[in-house]
Amino acid sequence: MSDAVDRDDDRALAGEFVLRLMDDEMHRAFAARVAAEPELARMVRDWEEDLAGLAEAVPEVAPPPRIRQQLRTRLFGADSPRRSWFGLRLWGAVAAAALVAVFVLVQVQTPTAPDLVAEIAAEDRGLVLRAAYSEDNARLTVDRVAGDIREGRAQELWLIAEGAAPVSLGLLTPGAMSQIAVPAGLRPALAGATLAVSDEPAGGSPTGQPTGAVLAAGVFVSG
Amino acid sequence: MASLAEIEAMIARMALGDRQAFSALYDATGAKLFGLCLRVLNDREEAEDALQEAFVKIWRNADRYAANGLSPMTWLIALTRNTAIDRLRARRRHPDGDDGIEDMPARTPTPEAAAIAASEAKRIATCFEELEDVRAQAVRGAYLDGMTYQELAQRHDVPLNTMRTWLRRSLLKLKECLSR
Repeated sequence: MSDAVDRDDDRALAGEFVLRLMDDEMHRAFAARVAAEPELARMVRDWEEDLAGLAEAVPEVAPPPRIRQQLRTRLFGADSPRRSWFGLRLWGAVAAAALVAVFVLVQVQTPTAPDLVAEIAAEDRGLVLRAAYSEDNARLTVDRVAGDIREGRAQELWLIAEGAAPVSLGLLTPGAMSQIAVPAGLRPALAGATLAVSDEPAGGSPTGQPTGAVLAAGVFVSG
Repeated sequence: MASLAEIEAMIARMALGDRQAFSALYDATGAKLFGLCLRVLNDREEAEDALQEAFVKIWRNADRYAANGLSPMTWLIALTRNTAIDRLRARRRHPDGDDGIEDMPARTPTPEAAAIAASEAKRIATCFEELEDVRAQAVRGAYLDGMTYQELAQRHDVPLNTMRTWLRRSLLKLKECLSR
């Protein structure tokens, strides 16, 4: 009998989890349980399937055509002249015909004074990054001052506004500089927020929340 | 729209780095997922950003899709909805405009109810009919408006614990109906 009650409890909790009704702390604790308990994971999957029916019923709206191109450029760097230019420069600089993967898009621009800056550093300063945000173009530039990304792993940058759960700003590139376009919804949250870098599997956190160790952190202050 | 098997195949090809598969998936599901972003965020610019963010995650996580056991549309919907809700909550925590929850009009369920087509959607709609209207609205409010218990309690003007009890009971009742 009490087993049945527990089961019902878990089933309702799994529904609350999928609906995202739990506070951050409970949500994280439950996510840990889901990862460890296959039966609970099945309940969560069932709710996702059931409730997706609500989304299926929402009318479709065609997104503006430019989004498709923006996405392709963002993901694949297709037709980006900056990338090929940078690639050429690199090839010129690399004397031996070593295999070089270029992940970094370097934007050549006249520097404007950033509105917000942060030093994101590990306690032992084995990893030090400098972040600068300019309101003009809503871009966050992260310079890698010290430390690399571990082989086969990724470093994900998180924005943590006071009292809020971390929101991913994206993956850091292995090179000297990462450029991140800050989504409109997050811009008001930047000043005074903490920036943190976590160690994640290649491709980034699978859950949307940090899953690995926090490698470095810093606070955004006026530039 | 592409069949579920076709969508599944696109995701599998994306996992191997096939960019054309990405474009095909975007063409097949972009309108559905953009509709969802708009529904949750109720703001065009934000919905566009959320859609982009969702598709970036879809591309990056395509190789892990096979392991999660969800049907392909459910995976895409869950990932997109979570992305949109993250944004919504970030906005609510930092309302620089008048985006406070108090100003949000209570939405009626009719637009969704009218557009129900898929069988999955029909199934849940049937079970929603068995719930009291106001309780069904609460579950819908949590799913499509990303509302927290606090916000739901405010909207329905009941104490937080009452809201929690309502919602849990509604969930169990829904589950019981869906598993019939």
